[in-house]
Amino acid sequence: MALSEVTTAFLKRFRSAPHLSPSLWTQQCRRYALPADAAAVQETDELETTSLAARPSEKDIERYDPAGVARRRNERHSRRLPRSRYQYKPPRYYRGPLHPHQPPPESDPSSRLFVPGPFSLPRLEQTYHETFAPDYMTMTYTHFPPGFSAPVKGERLRSWIGDSPYFKNRPPRGPRGGDVLRLLRKPITFRNVPKLEKVTVHTMVKAATDDVAHLHVASMVLQSITGVRATAHKVEKSAASFGIQAGQYLSLTCELSGEAMYHFIGKLVDVVMPKIKDWPGVKGSSGDSSGNVALGLKAEEVALFPEVEVNYDMYPPKMIPGCHIFIHTSASTDRDARVLLTQIGVPFYGKLIN
Amino acid sequence: MNTGKDTLRRSVVTAAVVEDQPAVPHETRHPNPPVTAKGPRKAYRLLASPVLSRPPLLTRDLTSFEKAFYLYQKRLNERLALPFTRYFYYKKGTPSDEEWKRKIRARKAAARDIGVYTAYGPEGWNDEVLVGDRTADRESIMEALARDAEGKDIVENERAGDADKDGQAVTGDARAGEGQRKELQKIVVEGPMPRITEADRTNDQRSLSRKLDRSLYLLIKNKEGQWRFPEDRIYGRENLHQAAERILVQSCGINMNTWIVGNHPVGHHAARFESPILSKISPNRLVSTSNHELEQEEYGEKVFFMKGRIMAGQADIKSNEYGDSEFRWLAKEEVKEVVQPDYWWSVRNMLVVR
Repeated sequence: MALSEVTTAFLKRFRSAPHLSPSLWTQQCRRYALPADAAAVQETDELETTSLAARPSEKDIERYDPAGVARRRNERHSRRLPRSRYQYKPPRYYRGPLHPHQPPPESDPSSRLFVPGPFSLPRLEQTYHETFAPDYMTMTYTHFPPGFSAPVKGERLRSWIGDSPYFKNRPPRGPRGGDVLRLLRKPITFRNVPKLEKVTVHTMVKAATDDVAHLHVASMVLQSITGVRATAHKVEKSAASFGIQAGQYLSLTCELSGEAMYHFIGKLVDVVMPKIKDWPGVKGSSGDSSGNVALGLKAEEVALFPEVEVNYDMYPPKMIPGCHIFIHTSASTDRDARVLLTQIGVPFYGKLIN
Repeated sequence: MNTGKDTLRRSVVTAAVVEDQPAVPHETRHPNPPVTAKGPRKAYRLLASPVLSRPPLLTRDLTSFEKAFYLYQKRLNERLALPFTRYFYYKKGTPSDEEWKRKIRARKAAARDIGVYTAYGPEGWNDEVLVGDRTADRESIMEALARDAEGKDIVENERAGDADKDGQAVTGDARAGEGQRKELQKIVVEGPMPRITEADRTNDQRSLSRKLDRSLYLLIKNKEGQWRFPEDRIYGRENLHQAAERILVQSCGINMNTWIVGNHPVGHHAARFESPILSKISPNRLVSTSNHELEQEEYGEKVFFMKGRIMAGQADIKSNEYGDSEFRWLAKEEVKEVVQPDYWWSVRNMLVVR
């Protein structure tokens, strides 16, 4: 039952690439000699049948017990092979593309870099695909009548015009009115509906200058609310006025993407934000003008996350940190990102700056 | 000032000059005199139609492959992750530590939703479930979590050691000889609301609490007995967006909190009548148009669909002004069954699959 619904096309992706043995080569050569219809039948058979599509017989299902077989075998043979004789271990170091012992790809569970997951299909991700994205497309649709051609805009990077010999082969001049080359905003179609790409949770623990325990507690808090191990960062430059020195570990970040990100944003919007007292929302001017929006949470607001709330006593008093949350979206302007976040349920207040 | 005076004088002069000229007959001034309409206007019937939908409220059911895959990944994670840091979460010798030890003895792994599985033992490799196993089902996971919260083991096992203590506690002062085991009040964890509602069981197609994991669309049985989305003519200078809002009010009453998504239609349907219909269009009381009845010879109809969402409330057919007799909330495949084939052909692509 378990795997009978899977289509053959889907399963084909999981199959390893066929290894061409000499016998296969001869088979292929022979196939060309066969009549055309026979070859076609063979080919479709090869494409369409898998061992998983057909359900095994009840007898086979009952008899299949790999753990029991292994247990009985171990009882019969008291001397077992050492693990190194049968368990594959990938090389510890990558020795270059020409080395005969190559590490397996990262997606292989035997790889040293393998990270398991995903473990679930987040609710927010489903809602995005079923509700938010279609609505977003309807809202931002721009109609171009037949025969419409977009007006030609001036060049973004200007060329050097003049007869000075120094203008030759110069890189183009920067944009008018500033150094920053803004992202282009293309009309929204079904291909480029903005979506959440990444969330970075960041905290700077000033108290860790005196007592490093603050950093450890902050790391555990971030790990428990995000589900991702926090990375500690060094101070790059000393600042005597703040009392920090270069080389001290004072800040932590968690990079979330995919499943962890959707779970985190879902928790933040549906559980934490409604519980914050006297909170006007995210500032309307937040954003880096290329579709990434940031917000901050104070220590008492971080304590509202369900993972912290259930065992609040576990964390030493006054050591739960506040944090910054950077939401990276695939939108190219802040306005588009804000529309997406509003759909998700993030409230904005004040003047909206695009 | 001077120029102003000058122009004034000049215009007066020109007026005088014009006065002096002999009056030109009206007909000769317009080489193309307006065609006086003989008979009614010939046109298509122009209709707006709100496609009101209730988005899915629940996550979808996972396919059997997804269930098996997620369980496999969870078990893989249990094998690859570092062991649960017990002393970080439970202080040694506390009741919660004892409870954890009792639970972990029964279920072998830290995760509660992967069944009884020894990740670090010699049979850790046996991480795939057999055919017909129900460990990954939603019901089994919910039951395991509820049992864990109630203080029981995740599976019903024969009691071993001090496991028979659960549900009991020592009351009174043990040193004073008052210590005796007493049945604690049974903890009953309230599970989530059922995914199948009463409306699902009775297949009440007028209820909004049916098929909670699907999008439902509002359909109306019109005067001709055809099932369609609510629709009406566009009057005067109102636009599609306004027309859609008005039609919802006039057909299904004001007891609905709705939102028309976007100003553009999401689809259209065009059909020709077998023979032209001479129809009299009387003014609508909600739209400011001329008070005269307009006659129009119609060769067909063109319907523009506007996407809408219902937030709260329910349709009320009693106050309908178009003579519609019935309404239903239907999922996509149910829409196909009730509407006309040509209507379905124009409508099918704007309805979401789920």
